[in-house]
Amino acid sequence: MSLAIIDAREWQNVFDLRTGLKRMDDSPTVRLVKEVLDKHPFPGDLDERANHWVTDTALDVLERYNPNFVFLTYAHQYYAMRFNQPNKAEQQRLIAEAFKEVERFEKESGFTPVVIGTGDMIEVKEYIDLSGLDGLAVTSHWLTRYAGLYSMTKGDLRCLKEHGGIERLVTREEFIELFSGEPVIAERLPELLAVAKEGYCFRSTLLRRPLMIPAHNYCIPVSGPLNGVTAITDIVGKVEEALWNKKIALILMEGVGCNDFLRPYTTCSNGKEWYTYENGEAQYLTITTGRHQVFAYPAGTRSYLEDDENKEYPFSGYLTSIPEGTIGDRFGGRSVAVGNRSMFMHILTGTDIAFECFARNLSNQGCLGVIHR
Amino acid sequence: MKCNYCEWHCELENETYGVCRMYKEDGGVIKERFPNKWCTYSISRAESLPFYHAYPGSRCMTIGTAGCNMDCRYCSNAFAAKEDPLKLQSTMYEFSPEELVKMAIKRGCHTIVFNVNEPTVSLPSLLSVSRAAKKAGVPMGCLTNAYTTEEATELLADIFSFINISLKGLDSNFCREYLGIPGSKPVIRNIERLARKVHIEVTTPVIQSVNDKELDKIADFLVSVNKNIPWHVFRLLPEHKMKDAIYPNIEAINASLEKSRRILPYIYFHNFVGSDWVNTMCPQCSSVVIERFSLGCGGDKLSNFYCRDNTCSVCGCIIPIHGEHVAWNSKGGAV
Repeated sequence: MSLAIIDAREWQNVFDLRTGLKRMDDSPTVRLVKEVLDKHPFPGDLDERANHWVTDTALDVLERYNPNFVFLTYAHQYYAMRFNQPNKAEQQRLIAEAFKEVERFEKESGFTPVVIGTGDMIEVKEYIDLSGLDGLAVTSHWLTRYAGLYSMTKGDLRCLKEHGGIERLVTREEFIELFSGEPVIAERLPELLAVAKEGYCFRSTLLRRPLMIPAHNYCIPVSGPLNGVTAITDIVGKVEEALWNKKIALILMEGVGCNDFLRPYTTCSNGKEWYTYENGEAQYLTITTGRHQVFAYPAGTRSYLEDDENKEYPFSGYLTSIPEGTIGDRFGGRSVAVGNRSMFMHILTGTDIAFECFARNLSNQGCLGVIHR
Repeated sequence: MKCNYCEWHCELENETYGVCRMYKEDGGVIKERFPNKWCTYSISRAESLPFYHAYPGSRCMTIGTAGCNMDCRYCSNAFAAKEDPLKLQSTMYEFSPEELVKMAIKRGCHTIVFNVNEPTVSLPSLLSVSRAAKKAGVPMGCLTNAYTTEEATELLADIFSFINISLKGLDSNFCREYLGIPGSKPVIRNIERLARKVHIEVTTPVIQSVNDKELDKIADFLVSVNKNIPWHVFRLLPEHKMKDAIYPNIEAINASLEKSRRILPYIYFHNFVGSDWVNTMCPQCSSVVIERFSLGCGGDKLSNFYCRDNTCSVCGCIIPIHGEHVAWNSKGGAV
């Protein structure tokens, strides 16, 4: 049974991660997680100290738990670019500050870092508003390039084909064919997937519009002692090889791609043919499992249909299960994850223990610790 | 010309827009500056808004516009409510009332709830939406600060059948300093009035050492109106001008609610993840009749509904619920 420990500042509660039911547990690992959460309150997604929180928390956990594998995510620069659109100099400062945190972690922990940029950000050229269609368009706040389409009329299709910001319309069958061999529940895929041109952003129904969005990052940077990584699916295998004789920290730099990456790097593909991963659960899961994971939580899916009273994993956003085959799941040694990209890391990394901020739509609710084993 | 929508009674001219900046005078009539412009049409659970005693489990389409007639220091939607509405227009959706209702039905929503900013700043548009919604059998609800004139309050009651009123505090100094209004008298008057006409729930965000000392008084007032009013006591999530404030202590606020719990059967203390105080207990036999799960600000959901026909299954006590339990994926559009 996996446990979730919620820290809402000066107040903690322990739950069964799957059911959300309260649990009484005072085991040494629960005490460890509670102490760390209590000592490191999250300052907020847009707070300059958000990335320090990752390093500070990780170093504290390392001292207490002594893992061999650490997964870290630094996301402050991503949120700042996405919502504030700072000028180029400020973007570079934010990214440099994030890399300083990586250096601090490397120096103080002795871990060998494998640093991956999740992809460059660019300014939004134009928003694509699908609210006027007769059929149903499902857009997501955190996935800007893809929209799911259902029950499109002839008029809708004409409108979509004539739209200057739409790169292609992909049928369910074509989408499945592109990633043939990967497990898929076809009904969870949209009837049609609309794909935006670079710089165009499908408007979501939520309030805050992103000002910067992921570029079409066909390649992403990989830095560290890994040889022969040419595809995003190669990363995890090479990290596992390196773990035979090193303590490895797999570090994701959110919103940073080849253009602004501040360490020596090689590149690997970040998708397949026209499909590129945006930074989010599919990209994380592909990195941590070594398999393409576009269908686990497919773009344009009507996730709200799965959010009924019976949905499990209430602390895990719209994720509904713990996937098998993640690096934390496969690795025999001790593992820990710390990150400030909230609410899905504990599911997607599978590490023994995970610490993440519990911020939803930038509202800072506290922190979440998860113990899988 | 004096605006008669809220208690500010702003003097409006063609290019003088008053506190909320959403109305103008045009040919001797008060008109909306931006009719039928909406900032969102999202999907939410009734419990997340929060409505704990109205259509439990239902799927709501949440909407909002721009502007507000209060100036709360802790506003959680300041980017929509406190920004100049004119500046926001390029980001707004334009839907006719019929289109908005159609959108709700298309997304399987059972109700439409106005929850982003203050509905009083967009009453004519909302009145039109309510007519289209009534035709389609879609109930409408809202969250309001109730700083409205008596006439506008009547309109709110005509448009919305379930309303969550934010009673943020009673003390005039608090109202001036934290809410930007002279006092709470109109809000009190309107709670009494709305409670006679529609289903109401009340929400009070608590700022430790500031308005927590008023909790007993607020509870006494609610009892005087109707002891069955569900009262949501919110732990303040420091935002906007208070984003550097200390998070209120949960144990301390919970302890200060003990006296109120003896006189009000439906008190909920939440707005933080994993709250222990979100279930509905039968006031007669103390059985759990509705079980909920709280993910904090805007994230509550129904877990289990044990009172079929709005009746405690153990002792038969009637639980005051507006509408009935609606399964999340049941066909939307009419409840």
